[in-house]
Amino acid sequence: MSEETIYQHLRREGVTRRDFVKLCGLLAGAMGLNSLPPVKASALPLELAQGSNPADVVARALASKPRLPVLWLEFQDCAGCSEALTRSQSPTLIELVLSKISVEYHETLSAAAGFQLEENKAEIIKNYAGKYLLVVEGAVPLGIEGDYCTIGGRSAKDLLVEAAKGAAAIVATGNCATFGGIPKAKPNPTGAKGVWEVITDKPVVNISGCPAIPEVFTGTLAQFLVFGTLPELDDLNRPKTFYGNTIHDRCLRRPFYEAGKFALTFDDEGARKGWCLYKLGCKGPTTYNACASIKWDAGLSFPVQSGHPCLGCSEPDFWDGGGFYEGQSTPLSKPTLTALGIAAAAGAVVGAGMAGANQAKKKHVATH
Amino acid sequence: MNWKDTLEFARGPFFQVALIVFVGGMAYRLMRVLLLGWSRDRVPSKGSKLGGVVIAYLKGIIIWPFVPWVKNTFSKKPVMYLAGGLFHLGLFVIIFFGTPHMLVWKSLLGLGWSTLPTPIVDWLAAVTLVALATLLINRLVDPVLKLITGPAEVLNWLFVFLPMLTGYTMTHHLLNPYEMIFSLHVLAVDILLIWIPFSRISHFIFYFFSKTIHGAQFGKRAVTP
Repeated sequence: MSEETIYQHLRREGVTRRDFVKLCGLLAGAMGLNSLPPVKASALPLELAQGSNPADVVARALASKPRLPVLWLEFQDCAGCSEALTRSQSPTLIELVLSKISVEYHETLSAAAGFQLEENKAEIIKNYAGKYLLVVEGAVPLGIEGDYCTIGGRSAKDLLVEAAKGAAAIVATGNCATFGGIPKAKPNPTGAKGVWEVITDKPVVNISGCPAIPEVFTGTLAQFLVFGTLPELDDLNRPKTFYGNTIHDRCLRRPFYEAGKFALTFDDEGARKGWCLYKLGCKGPTTYNACASIKWDAGLSFPVQSGHPCLGCSEPDFWDGGGFYEGQSTPLSKPTLTALGIAAAAGAVVGAGMAGANQAKKKHVATH
Repeated sequence: MNWKDTLEFARGPFFQVALIVFVGGMAYRLMRVLLLGWSRDRVPSKGSKLGGVVIAYLKGIIIWPFVPWVKNTFSKKPVMYLAGGLFHLGLFVIIFFGTPHMLVWKSLLGLGWSTLPTPIVDWLAAVTLVALATLLINRLVDPVLKLITGPAEVLNWLFVFLPMLTGYTMTHHLLNPYEMIFSLHVLAVDILLIWIPFSRISHFIFYFFSKTIHGAQFGKRAVTP
């Protein structure tokens, strides 16, 4: 790999100038760039920030920046985040970003396999130390010294720590890599943890979701590619641009919530009329993600729109956050009837005892 | 511990403890009251005890609230009467007909019911908050009430006011993040649950005891008001 710029690389790969300009526009859109001032105010060098068209800004950056190698590690995952990416809204954009621009190592997508691929990874880690971007999909098990998940005879933790050491930035994609996901669900037999719990000396950008929204992932990647900076993050290290609002805040069924019109089952009149799914267990009010605005499949729909309550998949421990179909306000655990019975009996016994003692005392006072 | 964990704690283990304390505490209070002893009643019966009970409830819950001017308590202390009445009405509607609250009942009892639209519950919540504030000011200003106001009375007020305030703040998204205010709301309710049996808020159940006994006594003596 020579130090050619992204633009040169794309031209060599057969991308026309016209396609390149389109790509720049898409990238600018994915990052949410819409006018000059925010671009100028960003960390971008002035010579790149000149010009009022966001696509121009991106084009200049791509024409002058070297290619960014990406290492994509998969641990306790289902490859669903990769699947989602390959089926995303702008296939050309994803293809360009993933296959032409950068991804050097991806167990599911790479053409090579086995020792060849591992050697390539080792080379990238060595030659591009401090420059490559590390993407992690899947949780990292720490139980029995990490032996629950091994690749090429090495534990996931081992591989992660090695790759993280020289990474310019680390992006965790999907709920498993960010917050542990289903591997971490109670009782968490493998001791699974999110990447940011294992790598604590470097910032980890969490693109949570099950799977992560492809446009959110690409948008974040694009920002790093173009500006060389990481987006502003919330307290769970998720980019604020995409995780700033709850599903509830942007929900198309929100008016029905306010009006008190709810679907009570999945096939009643309310469900057919598209009423609010809160009573069917929607976790929208506490779930921060861009589903309701970016949506899925070229903006076609998202779970709540197609009639299913939000599961809260971009939040930590959503598997253990109460039943998927139970209202969010309901208690997570209830005392058993036996426990309540014992409590009532104990209260009654203590009450009777105190009353008895009082009466005895009264009698004692009366007789003396 | 972040707010997500706090919320899980408040909705999970802490709620469990609070409910157990509530049930145990109410059983304790009930036993204490029942075993206070009954004095012998030698008055000959002049009327129906049951009739007295029925009339006591009808007048107390259905008639007086809608013709308040008949009552001395209203003409002498209209603010207190109105604020007190609206506060109780608001609390009742919010607790039983606010959608999220009904879902709590549903998960505890296994049966649900229809709820009121958010704006109606919301307006009543605002009214309840204003009523609560009015009642506190009244309590602190009124020369007689001042004399019988101790820490327990102020805490009673506070432990009811906090769930109301946090609930209102939450539905209006006045404080962020949502999990924080949600956690505070549930925590406040858990604390209230623990506080109720050992305070005079237990009148939510003892009210019906005294209403029944008074009604029966009135009926027996044929002096039903």
